[in-house]
Amino acid sequence: MKKNVLLLLAMLLFGLGASYAQSRTVTGTVTSSEDGSPLPGVSVMIKGTARGAQTGADGTYRLEGLSGSEVLVFQYLGFNSKEESVGSKSVINVTLRMSESFLDELVVVGYGTQQKTAFTGSASKVDVKQISNLMTASIDKQLSGRATGVQVTNSGGLVNSPARILIRGINSLTQGTGPLIVVDGIPMISGNLAAVGNSNALGDINPADIESMDILKDGSATAIYGSRAANGVILITTKRGSKGSAKVTYEGFLGFSNPVKKFDLLNAEEFVTISNEKFTNAGQTPRASLNPGVDTDWQAEALINNAPVHSHTLSVQGGNDKTTYYLSLNYSDQKGVIISNFNKAYRVRANLNHDVNKWLKMGNNITISRQENGDQNNGANSLSGAIASALRMLPNVSPYNPNHPSGFNINYPNGNSMDPGTNTTSVDDNFTNVAFTTRNNKFRSDLYRIINNTFLEVSPLANLKVRSQFSFDLFNDYSYQGYSPLHGDGYGTATGGTNGLVYNASQNIIRYAWQNYANYNFSFDNSHNFFLTAGHEIQQDRTKWHAAQGTNISDVFFINENLISGTASVQGISGSISESGFESLFGRINYDFKNKYFLQASVRRDGQSSLAPHTRYGVFPGFSAGWRPSQESFWSASEFLNRWIPEAKIKASYAKVGNSLGGFPYLSTYGARPYGNLSGIAVSTIGNPDLRWETSVKYDVGVELGIFENRFSLTADYFVNDVNDLVYNVPTPLSAGVPGNSIAQNIATLQNKGVELMLEGLIMRKKDFSWNFNVNYSNVKNKITSLYSIGGEPVEFIQNGSYNIIQVGEPMNILHGNIWAGVNSANGNPMYYKADGTLIQQNFDRSATGKSIGAYYESTSTSSGEMGAATSLTFEDRKKLGQSTPTWFGSFTNNFGYKGFGLEVMLRYSGGNHIMNYTRQEALLSQNFHNNGKEILDRWTTPGQITDVPKLYYGQGNNINQTQTANSRFVEKGDYLRLQNIVLSYSLNPSLLTKTAFSSVRLFVQGQNLAVWTPYTGVDPDNISSLGLDQAVSPQVRTISFGVGLGL
Amino acid sequence: MKKLGLNIFMSCVLITAISCEKSLDKSPYNAISDAVAFSTADRCLLALNGVYDAAQSSPYTDGSVRGYPFGAANIEQGDARGEDVINIAAFFQITYQATYNATTANNVGHWGALYALINKANISIDGFKTAADNSVLTQEVASQYQAECRFLRAMAHHEALTLFARPYADGNGSKLGVPYRDFAIASSSAADQIKETPRGTVAEAYQKVLADLDFAETNLPASVSPSTVRATKAAAIALKMRVKLHMGDWAGVIAEGAKLVPAGAGPYVSPIGAWALTDSPDGAFTDNSSKESIFSIRNHELDNTGVNGALPSMFGPANSGARGLLAISPIIFNDTRWLEDDKRRSLLTVSGTNSNGGTTFNYFTKKYTSYTNRADFAPQIRYAEVLLTLAEAEARQASGVSERALNLLNAVRDRALEDPATQSFKASDFAGKNDLIAAILFERRVEFLCEGKRWGDIHRNALDPDFNVGGIPAKYQNASQGASIYGFGVPINASQAAIPYSDFKFIWPIPANEVIQNPVIEQNPNY
Repeated sequence: MKKNVLLLLAMLLFGLGASYAQSRTVTGTVTSSEDGSPLPGVSVMIKGTARGAQTGADGTYRLEGLSGSEVLVFQYLGFNSKEESVGSKSVINVTLRMSESFLDELVVVGYGTQQKTAFTGSASKVDVKQISNLMTASIDKQLSGRATGVQVTNSGGLVNSPARILIRGINSLTQGTGPLIVVDGIPMISGNLAAVGNSNALGDINPADIESMDILKDGSATAIYGSRAANGVILITTKRGSKGSAKVTYEGFLGFSNPVKKFDLLNAEEFVTISNEKFTNAGQTPRASLNPGVDTDWQAEALINNAPVHSHTLSVQGGNDKTTYYLSLNYSDQKGVIISNFNKAYRVRANLNHDVNKWLKMGNNITISRQENGDQNNGANSLSGAIASALRMLPNVSPYNPNHPSGFNINYPNGNSMDPGTNTTSVDDNFTNVAFTTRNNKFRSDLYRIINNTFLEVSPLANLKVRSQFSFDLFNDYSYQGYSPLHGDGYGTATGGTNGLVYNASQNIIRYAWQNYANYNFSFDNSHNFFLTAGHEIQQDRTKWHAAQGTNISDVFFINENLISGTASVQGISGSISESGFESLFGRINYDFKNKYFLQASVRRDGQSSLAPHTRYGVFPGFSAGWRPSQESFWSASEFLNRWIPEAKIKASYAKVGNSLGGFPYLSTYGARPYGNLSGIAVSTIGNPDLRWETSVKYDVGVELGIFENRFSLTADYFVNDVNDLVYNVPTPLSAGVPGNSIAQNIATLQNKGVELMLEGLIMRKKDFSWNFNVNYSNVKNKITSLYSIGGEPVEFIQNGSYNIIQVGEPMNILHGNIWAGVNSANGNPMYYKADGTLIQQNFDRSATGKSIGAYYESTSTSSGEMGAATSLTFEDRKKLGQSTPTWFGSFTNNFGYKGFGLEVMLRYSGGNHIMNYTRQEALLSQNFHNNGKEILDRWTTPGQITDVPKLYYGQGNNINQTQTANSRFVEKGDYLRLQNIVLSYSLNPSLLTKTAFSSVRLFVQGQNLAVWTPYTGVDPDNISSLGLDQAVSPQVRTISFGVGLGL
Repeated sequence: MKKLGLNIFMSCVLITAISCEKSLDKSPYNAISDAVAFSTADRCLLALNGVYDAAQSSPYTDGSVRGYPFGAANIEQGDARGEDVINIAAFFQITYQATYNATTANNVGHWGALYALINKANISIDGFKTAADNSVLTQEVASQYQAECRFLRAMAHHEALTLFARPYADGNGSKLGVPYRDFAIASSSAADQIKETPRGTVAEAYQKVLADLDFAETNLPASVSPSTVRATKAAAIALKMRVKLHMGDWAGVIAEGAKLVPAGAGPYVSPIGAWALTDSPDGAFTDNSSKESIFSIRNHELDNTGVNGALPSMFGPANSGARGLLAISPIIFNDTRWLEDDKRRSLLTVSGTNSNGGTTFNYFTKKYTSYTNRADFAPQIRYAEVLLTLAEAEARQASGVSERALNLLNAVRDRALEDPATQSFKASDFAGKNDLIAAILFERRVEFLCEGKRWGDIHRNALDPDFNVGGIPAKYQNASQGASIYGFGVPINASQAAIPYSDFKFIWPIPANEVIQNPVIEQNPNY
């Protein structure tokens, strides 16, 4: 009030004083470019003075006593400011554009917020509005392509599994690579945690409750999170109420999901031909014959079409001068395309803020959630794996048999196998009837979550805020697994076998976090601005778990929902508990000079319980600086720059952050190892007392430009992450007999560097039509820069599993395997190159005298069947076959608006990686009595035939396909372009609603994951593990849904 | 009032600062720190059981429990490498058809599990020594525990020698052996030390096996509780007999055998440990801890080798709830030397369905019948083996038909005969000593059918001019089945060709990752 009175007084004084000399008056109306409506309360100031006026309710203003040399500055919160010279004009009408861009936004940073203009780190703000309208169980699933430098992979189409998020590349070999997720200031428990099946702890946050999402990427932005910042930080802020009467909204979706693409398998007739050829070529009796009328599509037995999905959120928010509230209720139910896969969520969020008095605020945010998940055996080689089995089941065999009590094709009474029908034997390895197992075996988890966050904020001085915030995060998992005794993994009878299995696990994970911190800002000389943050944080985690299992269940009746006392004759229990803790001190100084030059320094000292006392603490500093040349006089003096690039910022940062470790890797420990039922202990870990933090040194330089009256914005960043002291379980030779065949050590360094570019803006805005776009591109190059030495001899590479190596100078986990030379056209043998370039073939010709089946012989050409000296294909012959993680990715998004209609089209792209198509190698081209993919129809059959598929030979799949080894034959490019989303929406004109109860009505249709264009021959190039393997995972899902949003 | 706010804040900081130390001072609840693992006599016993556990179930390549090395796997692999079983499905196909390579899970898993056992034994040996020095254990108990560890260490190395190395007979032990680990590896510096220990020769490894067994014999008691599942003096001597048999050291076998087998025509009862044959040929299987079961690896319904490893799962018929994966081959079943009315046919074999479905048929062993609980012990040394091993050494040592060998052979065989009075072997049944040796070797195949001993016999006799079976012998085709292939005297059709001893596949490859991680290990040729 005081200020306004003074202002008025000043205006009066100046106005009166000036009236003697000048008497020009300027009037005008300020309107919004959005809809042309008048803007009340816009400040209209004369530049360089304290004189000015405000627009009234009709958007008009009036300024008197002007000379004509003044420049008027129009400023309004949420809009771009504008300047106009008075000149000889007496009417100056101004249209202000909403600052949807870019530089006027707030950025949520750790323990506070900052003006985006003053922010010198690198962060991406995700437009949550676009995501929360999508049919999705959790926010992570939809993050792909939404921000530069953020790579999100949904490997497979399961609705209940989390997405894999990488920020600026992979920053660890063995420790976490996913970002720290902070909700309303508190690091939340996240991950795939249920004891049975997949689950997603992030799914406890209803996407519709999210107000904003800020992804902190560079060192200086994340350094305040110290030891947990190496993989970036995602800050989620939930919705709060705003002052005013209660607003009620409802949003609902209803839709259907389908597999985007299925595997292309042999039909019954093709199968009979192929499998009998396998046996004949191996000198064995054929086993398959056609079964008239039976041609089973086994994928149709495991996968469903038009899986229903729906979601409903009802929220109410409002408040008065002292108190604001937000309350939302959500129910969502998504079925996956595998018949047993689903996720149901019931979520409540309540945020309450209250100003007790002028210096004391308090509030409480609570999330209560329950998720139910249904899953299945997803093992890539599991006999009852939903996809693994569907790929191998014999198509000339029916899934059903009315003679079995279950109605499924199962042998009776020996239900371990299926009736072979017209074949002489059943499917090899007794892969199980997937139609039965997906319907009868249970993989369930019931997850309960409470996240409560209470704060008290005290302002002892005007610019000092002291906040104490205490949070409690509880994740409770009640999982159930049940295997039918009739068939599959639980098969057995009262006299033997598993005979039904029930398993219940109860997990209790809790986290306390207590943060006490202060924010203080002050300015002097009107140009030096300081913003200080300092605080202390403590975090305690505890995971407790126990489980009970019973087998030999008395009746199939007891295998449906839970373990039942007295029903299992064989019983087992298990359990464990672990604890960990963090304790930190942190501080940050931001300084800016005239909103032109910016400096930031921060430091955090973290201690973690998982390291030995002498290595437990780490100090993580961060620095950054920025300059806005657009605020310099030379810039504003240039009409060109002022018009074309009204905003420019250059920034640079450096920081060191850490990646925390779990467990107690510094200790050698003895775990329980019973011998039969005789209790025992044995060494379970060889510890390393000298283990240190993984640290990440991050550099970033960037530029942010507002172009063409700020209609466009361009953001560009170049970054380098040097990661040191990478922890790796350094392999010991098997013959050392060390538990896990490894000992954790700090052994390696790696580097990620890359470029991020984003251009977005407004292409067109007419009265009824608008067109916005966003293009982004990220490029991340990963390189292992050093590994350890043995006795001064540097180790060149580490073998990581069967398909990948970690090699100095190469990207992490590069695919590494044999070099395929094609099929010998004379005899159909597979051919390879040795490291020295020697062409060799692997013999599968039984008639070749003196040549061993499966052995390697030197060859002269790919067309000569002649086999020379015996040779071998060894590890030394393997070469690098491609990198396992995409190196470039991004998206194009266009938003069109026409009157009430909106259309969003998002295309996403990714590539630069190679995929080891394990599914092809192990299943689709299996040489066992299994079904195959269509590719096998190209097998070699006659001398002279040029093909890529070797001669068939029953039982030699491990040799012909070189299973358990990467092989250039199965390594394919992973580039793709994906039509990620199309959303068409229609908002009813509010004028039509005046007589209804609604204030707004919005209808929409959306398509998610509609198409993918790729050279990759597998089901989907996103179906890759972190090692770049495609391992028979669930197909990706296309969802079409219809939604309605109502406001009361 | 504002001051109050500040005070509240300052007290908060103070409280959290005080709680800091505690917040980081965590320790594991799930496992005992190595500093105190051998700090009481009870814990020492727990650690010893942990070494036996490693013999029962060290992690497979994927970390799962499948009975590697001695809980089931050595028996299954030992049979699947021979001709007396048929691999029904794909489960043992790689071993059965010898299509393994240096990354094949079975041989990688077996190698890894053997050395995991060896290192746990070595770490515990150090622990027991320290416990004795600290008077936690008496010197006597500490020596006994160490002897048990060295017994297991010897057994593991010998198993590795029969699978990954050429037999002793090839160049009198001069071929590449396996690395002998006789020191604990409990830190990364110790692990680096092994990179200076090459494979050595077969003979060198055998000498160390024998040294361990001599120590074990000296320090082990004659009996222990629970019996059978822990090593005793007799177990050490019996294993030494097996090792010396592999070396072709007939005199050595006889010298050791004299400690366990009294002179005369039997029935024999061991002076050490009172081991003897059970009355019935199935006695060692109806009772896991029978008087014949000198050493077995313990399984129990609460801790067994799992559905993918357990002996009853693999060897039992599907209609009994087993998996029906390893069936008895007609090669042994149809052999008329195995008398039609031999009790082992009726008591220890059963016809049933195999893993291929409800109408498919094979003969299976009935030695392991705990189809639900999988609690059958994995038999490693039976008194019958002591007798037949001694019989073979006596028969080979003698110039003619050894009467002692004949008596020992009959002791085992007669209990299975319907009418021993007429069917028992007489000296006149054998034209010469080789006939007797052949009869003893055949008796081993019948008596130890599905006990994994077949590969050891093939391996040690591979260069024997009279008793080799042509390398890896010819076998029935994978998944052979049906009643028609079985019958006493029915001709056999071993259509899967033999792989000669000279072929590189006769021995398993050293695992690829061992070769990569261990610069001094040499791969077996052609892998």
